Amino acid sequence: MQSHSKKRVCYYYDSDIGNYYYGQGHPMKPHRIRMTHNLLLNYGLYRKMEIYRPHKATADEMTKFHSDEYVRFLRSIRPDNMSEYNKQMQRFNVGEDCPVFDGLYEFCQLSAGGSVAAAVKLNKQASEICINWGGGLHHAKKSEASGFCYVNDIVLGILELLKYHQRVLYIDIDVHHGDGVEEAFYTTDRVMTVSFHKYGEYFPGTGDLRDIGAGKGKYYAVNIPLRDGMDDDAYESIFVPIISKVMETFQPAAVVLQCGADSLTGDRLGCFNLTVKGHGKCVEFVKKYNLPFLMVGGGGYTIRNVSRCWTYETSVALAVEIANELPYNDYFEYFGPDFKLHISPSNMTNQNTSEYLEKIKNRLFENLRMLPHAPGVQIQTIPEDAINDESDDEDKVDKDDRLPQSDKDKRIVPENEYSDSEDEGEGGRRDNRTYKGQRKRPRLDKDTNSNKASSETSSEIKDEKDKGDGADGEESTASNTNSTSNNNSNNKSDNDTGATANAGSGSGSGSGTGAKGAKENNI
Amino acid sequence: MATNMYRVGDYVYVEATTPNSPFLIRRIEELNKNQTGNVEAKVMCFYRRRDLPNPLVQLADKHQPALDEDRTSPTQTSGGAGSATGNSGSNSSGGANNNSSSTASGGAGGAGTGGDAEKGEALTSKQRYQIKQRELFLSRQVESIPATQIRGKCSVTLLNETESLQSYLNKDDTFFYCLVFDPNQKTLLADKGEIRVGSRYQCDIPAKLKDTATDERKLEELESLVWTPEHSLTDRKIDQFLVVSRSIGTFARALDCSSSVKQPSLHMSAAAASRDITLFHAMNILHKHEYSIEESMSSLVPSTGPVLCRDEIEDWSASEANLFEEALDKYGKDFNDIRQDFLPWKTLKQIIEYYYMWKTTDRYVQQKRVKAVEAELKLKQVYIPQYNNNGKGNGAAVKASGGIYNGTTNGSTDLSNNGKPCESCGATKSSQWNSVSSGHSTCRLCQSCWEYWRKYGSMKSATKGDGGDSEAKKKASAAATTPTATSAGVGAATTPTTVVDLNDDEKISDLTNRQLHRCSIVNCGKEFKLKTHLARHYAQAHGIAISSGSPRPIMKTRTAFYLHTNPMTRVARAICRSIVKPKKAARQSAYAINALLVKQEFTNRISGKSQAEIKKLLLLKPKDRGSVTKIANRLGAPGSGPHEWLILTPKDKMPLPLVVSFPKPPKAPDGSLMYDRVPNKSPDVVAVPADKELTIIPTQATSTIRKRAHEEQQLNGTEVTIVPSGPPAKRPNKDPMPSHCPSPEQFAAMMAASGQPLSRHHLNGKQKIAQMARGGNGRKQVISWMDAPDDVYFRANDTHKKTRKILSAVDLRRAARKPWRTLPIKTAAPEPSSRPIESQIVILD
Repeated sequence: MQSHSKKRVCYYYDSDIGNYYYGQGHPMKPHRIRMTHNLLLNYGLYRKMEIYRPHKATADEMTKFHSDEYVRFLRSIRPDNMSEYNKQMQRFNVGEDCPVFDGLYEFCQLSAGGSVAAAVKLNKQASEICINWGGGLHHAKKSEASGFCYVNDIVLGILELLKYHQRVLYIDIDVHHGDGVEEAFYTTDRVMTVSFHKYGEYFPGTGDLRDIGAGKGKYYAVNIPLRDGMDDDAYESIFVPIISKVMETFQPAAVVLQCGADSLTGDRLGCFNLTVKGHGKCVEFVKKYNLPFLMVGGGGYTIRNVSRCWTYETSVALAVEIANELPYNDYFEYFGPDFKLHISPSNMTNQNTSEYLEKIKNRLFENLRMLPHAPGVQIQTIPEDAINDESDDEDKVDKDDRLPQSDKDKRIVPENEYSDSEDEGEGGRRDNRTYKGQRKRPRLDKDTNSNKASSETSSEIKDEKDKGDGADGEESTASNTNSTSNNNSNNKSDNDTGATANAGSGSGSGSGTGAKGAKENNI
Repeated sequence: MATNMYRVGDYVYVEATTPNSPFLIRRIEELNKNQTGNVEAKVMCFYRRRDLPNPLVQLADKHQPALDEDRTSPTQTSGGAGSATGNSGSNSSGGANNNSSSTASGGAGGAGTGGDAEKGEALTSKQRYQIKQRELFLSRQVESIPATQIRGKCSVTLLNETESLQSYLNKDDTFFYCLVFDPNQKTLLADKGEIRVGSRYQCDIPAKLKDTATDERKLEELESLVWTPEHSLTDRKIDQFLVVSRSIGTFARALDCSSSVKQPSLHMSAAAASRDITLFHAMNILHKHEYSIEESMSSLVPSTGPVLCRDEIEDWSASEANLFEEALDKYGKDFNDIRQDFLPWKTLKQIIEYYYMWKTTDRYVQQKRVKAVEAELKLKQVYIPQYNNNGKGNGAAVKASGGIYNGTTNGSTDLSNNGKPCESCGATKSSQWNSVSSGHSTCRLCQSCWEYWRKYGSMKSATKGDGGDSEAKKKASAAATTPTATSAGVGAATTPTTVVDLNDDEKISDLTNRQLHRCSIVNCGKEFKLKTHLARHYAQAHGIAISSGSPRPIMKTRTAFYLHTNPMTRVARAICRSIVKPKKAARQSAYAINALLVKQEFTNRISGKSQAEIKKLLLLKPKDRGSVTKIANRLGAPGSGPHEWLILTPKDKMPLPLVVSFPKPPKAPDGSLMYDRVPNKSPDVVAVPADKELTIIPTQATSTIRKRAHEEQQLNGTEVTIVPSGPPAKRPNKDPMPSHCPSPEQFAAMMAASGQPLSRHHLNGKQKIAQMARGGNGRKQVISWMDAPDDVYFRANDTHKKTRKILSAVDLRRAARKPWRTLPIKTAAPEPSSRPIESQIVILD
C-alpha cells in the first residue's frame, strides 16, 4: 500500500498547549506549537497523518525518570503558593529560567504525555514516525528543572522505547547541548546521545568534545561542540558523516530526534545560521534509515521561524512537498513581510572553519571506533596490547600490603568530581558546578557569576582532564580500574588525554586540588 | 568594505582609555545609536594575561601547561636532568617551579629545539611565549564604548583540544581562551559545565522485554485519535466540506444578533467564519461521523440552528477588547494581573489565546511602532572607516618624517631612531617610531613591532623589555608567596609586588566603573543597562514617556533655561556699553557681540575701581520722563482740539507696505480667518475655570470620554488655581513626574490650564509622536512636540498656595521677574522655607 518514502505518521497535539504562558518577557512560548498546528491544517498536511490528542502523563509515568520528590513538587507548586516552597524552588532550580506559571504541571503532563504515547505507539509498531512538537524539553534533569524544561519527555520516551528496542539513538540538533538526556543515559550503552550544539560561554556549559560518557556508557555520548554561525553546508558536512558513522557502529533499533529550532538563523537566543531547509535536511537524513522514528520539538525562540521549521519538517516526515507560499491562517500576519515558508540565512560569519570541523569529526570517529562493533556482540573488542600495565598492578598487589603510592594517587578524587559519600551536604555537590549560576537567557544585569566568592582560587580551576575517567565514582573499585584501562588503551591512539590525566593525578598531588579533594570512600 | 563593517558578535580591537597601551579585545554584544546619532557599542571584555592579577597569572600558567606540557613532555624528560641546575638557579627565589616559565627556560637552556624532532607539535620557547600572548580570558563583564574606538577585527575562539596551539600562531589576529576571569572576585574558572554521574542523576534502564504483545499499556489510555488519513474521502471532498462548514458559519453569524452588530457586513461574517476554529471543528465533525460527509453536514445544522464556532478574538466584545488594551498598557504582558484587575470573568487561557490573535490585528500596530523605533536604534552592523592612527590618539608616536623627535627639525631625517635599533626586532629603519612603556622602562619600537605590540600586548619574542617585566612579576609574586625565600629576596621583591597590585586594582576599578541607567523615580530605583530599557520602564511602570535616546523627538521638548545675570555682568554691560551696543543688539538678533573684546575692555576699566565705585555702577538711574498724569492731561488739554495726527487715514488711502511680512491667513469657508494655533500660550489669568474656553481648543478631547469619563467630570467641575509665580512661570508639564503624581483632578486642571487637550496617552504611557487635536474650525491640527511645554514645571502644594496668599501682589510680581531672589516671607507659614520654590523644580530628561 505505502510507497517506500511514504510512512505512517502519527502526530500528537493538544489544543490547550498553546495557551500556556511562561511569563512576561520569557522567550519560551508554547504558542509556537499552536502556530505550527494551524499551518499544518492550512497546508493540508493535517489530513495526511493520524492526529492524536495525548493523555496527560501521570506522576507515576514521570517518576520513571524523575525523582518522586521533584514530581510531587511540580504537581503542587502554583504561582499563588510559591512563597511556601522557597527552599524547594531553589533546590529544584525553579524560579528564574524555569518560572512557576499557571498550569505548569499540566503543561509538563501534556508534553510528556505526547512523547510517551508516541514511544508506545512506535513500540507497538503502529506507526513509523511519531511527532510531538510539544516535547523535546531536553534540559530537564532527574530532580532539577533547567533551561525552560521541567519534565524530560525525551528521557521518558526513550525509556519506553528501550522496553522493546535494544539500542536507541538520540540526536539533538537544538543549538543548546542536550544535557538532560545525556546525563540521564551517561552510563548506559543502550542509548547513544549525539548532540550538535554551540559550545563555549553558552548555556548549559556542558557538551565538551571530551565528554564521552562514563562507565558502561563510555563512548556512548557523542558531543559535537560548534561555534557561532553554523550554516547549512557546514552543518551538513558534519551531521551527515557523524550520523552515518554512528548508525554504522551503534546500529540503533530506534531513533529519537530533537528538532530544536533555535539553531535557525535569527533566533532570539541561538547563534547559528541555519535555514529551514538546512534544518529539515537533518530530519530527511535520519528518516532515510527507516527506523522507528520519534521527532520532538525543543528550543526555538523566534516563533514565526519555529512554526515554519516544524511545519516543513512535518512535511518532510510525510514526504509531501509543500508550497513556499504560506497559506492563510489565523496567524498569517506573524509571517510578514514575505509570507513565505523558507527563510534566508544572514550574512554572519561562520566561525567554524572546515578545518575545525574536520578535526572534530576525526576525533569523534576515533571515539566511535572504540565501540564494540557488531550488534549482539557484547564482548569488549579492545586489543590486548592496549591494556595499560599500570592498571594491572592493582591486581598483582597483595591485598594485605599497603598500596603503592601510585595506586593511592589514582584513587584520589579531585574535588570537583562526583562522589556519593554521605559526608557531603545537600548543596555542596552542586556548588561545584561552574554553570550553576548561569542562565539560558542572557540576563540584563550580569551579576550572578560574580556572586560566588571563593577563599581559595586555586581550587576553582577545574582540572577538566581528570574528568573523563574519574567521573564514575559510583562504580566499584574494580570497574573503576577497568574503565581506566579502557581509557588508557584509547590514549595510546589519541596521544594525550588520559595519559595526562593519570600523570596529573599522580604527580599533581602536591598541588592544591588533588590533596584537598582526596576522598577515602573508594577504598 | 567588509573589513570595516562591524556586526554584533564580532571580536574587535578597541583603543584603550590610557594612551599608548595595547588594544583591548572585546566582543560586540549590541550596537546602539544614541541621542546624538553616535553609535555606542556594548562589548564583552576579554583580558590578556598581562591584565590579570599576579596570583591568577600563575594559576593560568598552571592550567595552560596542562596543554603545553603534554606536548613537550619528551623535551622535559630528556632535557630536564641536564638543565636541572639551570632551572634551580633561575628559580632560586621562589619554589613555584610548576609554571611554564621554568619549562620555558629549561627548554631554552637545555633541549632547545631537540623536542621538535621528537614530536611535530612540540613548541619552541619563542612559540610558547607567543602563544601566551594569544591566550585570552573571558570575563562576563560588559561595558559600553563609542564605536569609534574600534580599531579592527580579530577572532577569539574557545580552544578546542583537537586544535594545535600553533594553528593560532600561524594566523594573524586569532586568539583563544579556556578560562573565564571574574574581575570582581578575581577568580579564574573553567568555562565548562559538568555531567554528573550517580544514581541521583542517571535513570534506571528498563530491561528489554521479549514480546511486544506483553505490553500492559493500552494505547487508548495514552491517546485519543482526532483524525486519521485512513478514510474513503478524497481531498476534494474534504475541501468541499470545509467550504460548506464555512458557509454555515457565515449564515449562523447572520442569524446571531450579537454577531451582526460586530460584523455589519457579509464580508466580515464570511471572514470570521473562515477562521481556523471553524475548520478544526469541521475536521473533528468529519472524524466523529466516520468521514461521512452527509452525517457530518447534518450535525452542522442541528435543530437548534446552525453551529457557530467562535474563537477568542471574535468572542470578545468591543468593551472587553478595550479593557484588554488598557490593561496591556498598564501591566505589560502580565496576564495574571490583567485577568485579576481587568478581566476576572475570562480564564487565563482565554486571555492568552486572545493576546496572540490580537497581535495579528492592526490595533497592535501602534505598539509595534514604538518597538520599531527602538529597533531602529539597535543596529545590526556598523561601518567604521579605517582608523588613521598617525598622530592623534597616541601622543607617544613620533613621526620620523616630521622630525620632531629630539629637535631634529631638518625635514630630511633618515628613518632611524637616532641610531638605536628597535627594541624588539632590531630593525633600524621604520616609517615611524613609537615608544612603549613596559614596567619601569620605556623602549622604542619600529612600526611593525609596535603594531604587533598593540595587538598582542607583547613583543615578538621574550626580550628584556616586556619579557623581563613579566619575569620580574613572576619572581616577585613567587617570592611573596614562598616564605622560605631569603630575606634579601623578600626585601627586594615586596616593593614591586605592591606596585603591581595597585596597578591591578586600578584596572579593576576602571572596569567596574560601568554606567547603569537608574530609574529616578522615588522608591523604584531599578537599574537598566540600556537607556531604551529605562525609557520603556518609565513608560510602562510609571506612565511617563521619556526620550529614548533617539535623534527623532518622541517626547523631546524644548529645553528650559533662564539667564541669570550676575552683578559683574551687569557692570560689564554698563561700562562696555559702547562695545555691546545693547539697543542695536536688541533690534538685530543676529548682531554678534564680541564677547572677548567686552571681556578685555571690562578687565581694563574695572581694574582701578573700588568696591564703592562698582556698586555705584550697578545702580540704575531712573530716567525722569515726567508723570503719566501730566502727559495725559497735556494730551487731553482743552482748546487744542483734535490734532491732525489723531485723525484716522481712510483705509483706501493707507500706504501699502512693500513687503507683507505677515500675510493674512486664508479664510475658512465660513469666512473666518484660520490662524495657526499658538500652542504654548499660557493663560495669564490667575484663575481658570476649566469649562471656560480660553484657547482655541474647544471642550476637552472627546476621545477621552470613553475611558476616563470620571476625570472628565471632575475636570469640568473643579476650579483650581494655578499661579504663575516663583521661578520662571512654568506651565504644568504634560508628563508629570510620577514622584509626585498629581491626582486626576490636579492633572486635569493642569491640562485645562495649559490649554492642552487632555489626551489619553499621558495616563497610560503610550507614546505618540504628535497628537491630534480638533481646532475651533473643525480642522485637525498636529501639534509638534517641539512646541510642547517645557521640561520643567512647578507643582504648587497647599503650603505654597498659602504662602502665595501671604505675599503681596507686588512681591509676587517681583518674584516673577527675579526668580532667583529669596522671597521675604515674614509670617510663620506651616512649612516655612526660604526657597519653597526651588525645591520643587523637576527637570525631566
